[in-house]
Amino acid sequence: MMITDSCVYPRPLGDSSVKRMALEAHELGFDSLVAVNTPPCEHFGVTVETGVVIGEVPAQEVSREVKLGRERGAVVSVLAGDNGRNRMVLGMRGVHILCGIHRTDRHAFDHVTSRMATDNSIAIDISLAPVIHGRGVSRQKALDRYHDILLLHRRFEFPLVISSHARSVLDMRSVREFSGLASVIGLDIPDVEQALSNVGMIRSGQSAVRVIP
Amino acid sequence: MTPRPPTLREKRRYVLARIDPHGTAPDPKELYYAVHEVVTSLWGDAAGALIHVAVIAVEGEYAIVRCRRGTERELVIALSTVISCGGRHIALRTVAASGTIESLRERIAALQEPVPVPDVPAECTIDGTTCAVCWCAGQKIDVIEKGFKNTTRFFLTREDLENS
Repeated sequence: MMITDSCVYPRPLGDSSVKRMALEAHELGFDSLVAVNTPPCEHFGVTVETGVVIGEVPAQEVSREVKLGRERGAVVSVLAGDNGRNRMVLGMRGVHILCGIHRTDRHAFDHVTSRMATDNSIAIDISLAPVIHGRGVSRQKALDRYHDILLLHRRFEFPLVISSHARSVLDMRSVREFSGLASVIGLDIPDVEQALSNVGMIRSGQSAVRVIP
Repeated sequence: MTPRPPTLREKRRYVLARIDPHGTAPDPKELYYAVHEVVTSLWGDAAGALIHVAVIAVEGEYAIVRCRRGTERELVIALSTVISCGGRHIALRTVAASGTIESLRERIAALQEPVPVPDVPAECTIDGTTCAVCWCAGQKIDVIEKGFKNTTRFFLTREDLENS
């Protein structure tokens, strides 16, 4: 089981080199990292995988960038938007993660999108950045969104991944801190362990074993 | 005023946290306010009062933070949300928790054993920017962009420096 931080931004997007981030991740208890716009490599025993984050771009552009990301063998994350956009993204082949869900409104991710995420094995990203960096209303809104996502996750069992979205080694947190911060959202330790190891599973296209009553 | 007998005193726990980046050495008062702010903003006033947080000491790169026994988990979670102190970007990495300050001081002494400083140049060029090496230990090297203002700290490794 690989413990993975599913999104970090090394230089030039951040202030830390990918090697330093890998070294720090090793000390913090991670086995692998998904680093945005970085070629795959291994440093200090930490596997670094290429990540692509597709922002708020038109549908055709998303499709093109997903295809490019897939050709590069990258972990493809797409920024969530309104409900229509999320349905479009979740139906797209090659998308691994839907991220930035904390910035969307309550109706952007519902039971239909949850079912699509489960069927297509697309993970929903729980970014700890708004929990760490946010204060007051912005953090409360993010926590509220995550509680809602967790409710749907418990019902539909779509995969979750947890990421720090660190742009610096100072933004990275240890596995224990991930677990503590995730407990604020309502994730318990087995959920966190599963979420930290989900990147490998969604990349291989396997879905978790589901018990159908 | 007579001191309260030990059996009537509240049990406390002390958390040792390392202050990153190295060489930051924040003002203890500023760190006290930063820790108070994160505890209050994450857990609220009522829980904050129960945690009874205080920064006891800042010794070099380490800080000792007090809390009420049984609230260490809440304190550690709140400490992981500290992102700045005195306008500088920092991170607090929890190292240990103990019932006495003395044992944490022993731990600090053990952790502060001198690390052999690798042979690195005082200056380097990163992507065309001249930077001064400000800290290095083992593979880790921190450099600061040279200039009068808006200087940025970069976190690199020895290999990055050799390849630049």
